[in-house]
Amino acid sequence: MAKAVKGFKVEPKQLRIYGLVGSVVGIYLAYILNSATGTNVFSFVGALAALFGVVMGANAVRRVCAYGIGTGVPSIGMLSLGMGTVAVLFGLNIAEQLGVGLLGVIIALVYSLVFGYVVGLIANRVMGFNIPIMEEGLFDLSGAGTLAILGWSFAISGSLGYADIVKDVFNTGFLAIIFICGGLAILHPFNANLGPDEKQDRTLVNGVMVGGLATIATGICALMTLGLAAGMVQIVVGFAVWYYFYVWYFRLAKRDAAAVVGTGLLPPSAL
Amino acid sequence: MSFDINTIIYILEIIVGGLLVGVGVHFVPVGGAPAAMAQATGIGTGTVQLAAGSGLTGLLSAGLMMSVTDNIWPIIATGAVGAMIMMDATMLTGSWIYAYAVGAPFASAKVNYDPITKFSQPPYVAPGTVGQGIPTVCFVSGTIGAAMGGIGGALIYYPLVQINGNPAMSAVFAIGIFMVDAVLASWNIQGTIEGFHDPKFKKWPKAFKSCLVATVILAVVAVLITPIGGV
Repeated sequence: MAKAVKGFKVEPKQLRIYGLVGSVVGIYLAYILNSATGTNVFSFVGALAALFGVVMGANAVRRVCAYGIGTGVPSIGMLSLGMGTVAVLFGLNIAEQLGVGLLGVIIALVYSLVFGYVVGLIANRVMGFNIPIMEEGLFDLSGAGTLAILGWSFAISGSLGYADIVKDVFNTGFLAIIFICGGLAILHPFNANLGPDEKQDRTLVNGVMVGGLATIATGICALMTLGLAAGMVQIVVGFAVWYYFYVWYFRLAKRDAAAVVGTGLLPPSAL
Repeated sequence: MSFDINTIIYILEIIVGGLLVGVGVHFVPVGGAPAAMAQATGIGTGTVQLAAGSGLTGLLSAGLMMSVTDNIWPIIATGAVGAMIMMDATMLTGSWIYAYAVGAPFASAKVNYDPITKFSQPPYVAPGTVGQGIPTVCFVSGTIGAAMGGIGGALIYYPLVQINGNPAMSAVFAIGIFMVDAVLASWNIQGTIEGFHDPKFKKWPKAFKSCLVATVILAVVAVLITPIGGV
């Protein structure tokens, strides 16, 4: 091994604060940038904000699933996005009805956090899972699903208005793309890296990498809803995120591998 | 929005739909990864994928019927039939692969005699496995489960469209409710089940209670969503 690879270790509590604050601030920052400049090219900031939530969710998945839930990792990711979908629609709509359109993000987030905690309680008390971190795990996960959907919805619609998001994201069906790509970013990292040698930094870097791919996908959607400039910026940003974290992930995978041997198909410099 | 008797009916419809999904999952013969290697009875994929597949097909067919009529009964029936067709097609093609490609005899390891055909099962269970393929009882059970999932999906979708008048949004919302109930139910069966003859099936009251609590929380917010500028 030529040089040491940059690794990290973050406490779940710290990561939760980074995820919640980073994501909410990012979504509002994207909104402010968009409305201050009167364009929609800053919509990609919403997609970057979603990545904070995704990292939080991926960490929650690896903590809960390390206990073994018996149904495979994808189920928990789908649960997370399912709770997120309901929370986002409810939050944005209620905020609009109460005349405080901008607070929709907060309402959606609070509702999803409460609901996630309740589902965690049900899982432990009624079904007898006995996973000590189930409540906080689902608390994180439903928040992560909500923030991922909000962030990427903003990236496609360029607005936080209920009517705009419904028109650009729900009626066009692009929500299905966010649902699956965002779900993959949350559930895939642990699914791909699980095992006795699973390391937090490798899993989370993988999560951001998949988040970059999801940003490319939403960028392609944004080409249709926001126009060429905003869409292309998003695709380029998504590609940059994917490339940077892919290289990092590749190094981490080599760091954790017992041995790296070439088959001769790739040039030695690629290993 | 106005809160009247219709709102309560809508909430009840969504709750019943969620409960049908939660209980319906227990009927579907889910084998998970072991079944994919023909080492366990059932369909070789996870509960959520199967429940989501049948539920979404039911939702699609219910939506199609809803574009023609507003009567709830044909919509529910179409939803059930759509989901049953999806699940049966999956089980049938899966059976071809188990029978002709893997070459495994279909057998259940949970019962000594198939409750429907009365065929003896243990002689056909390969040593070291917990059954293979999809025996008759699992096929019937899966069809019942799919019907319940389809009815549940249609029962969630129908009131939502009545409330907000936006089919796309209602479908997405219904998928959200569907996913929550299906995952809770699949956690209850710990990933694999053979059908209504499986001893694990007796655990369904737990899933019923869990889905009830979760769906009530979801249904109460579902009816608050209004169609402002949404259509």
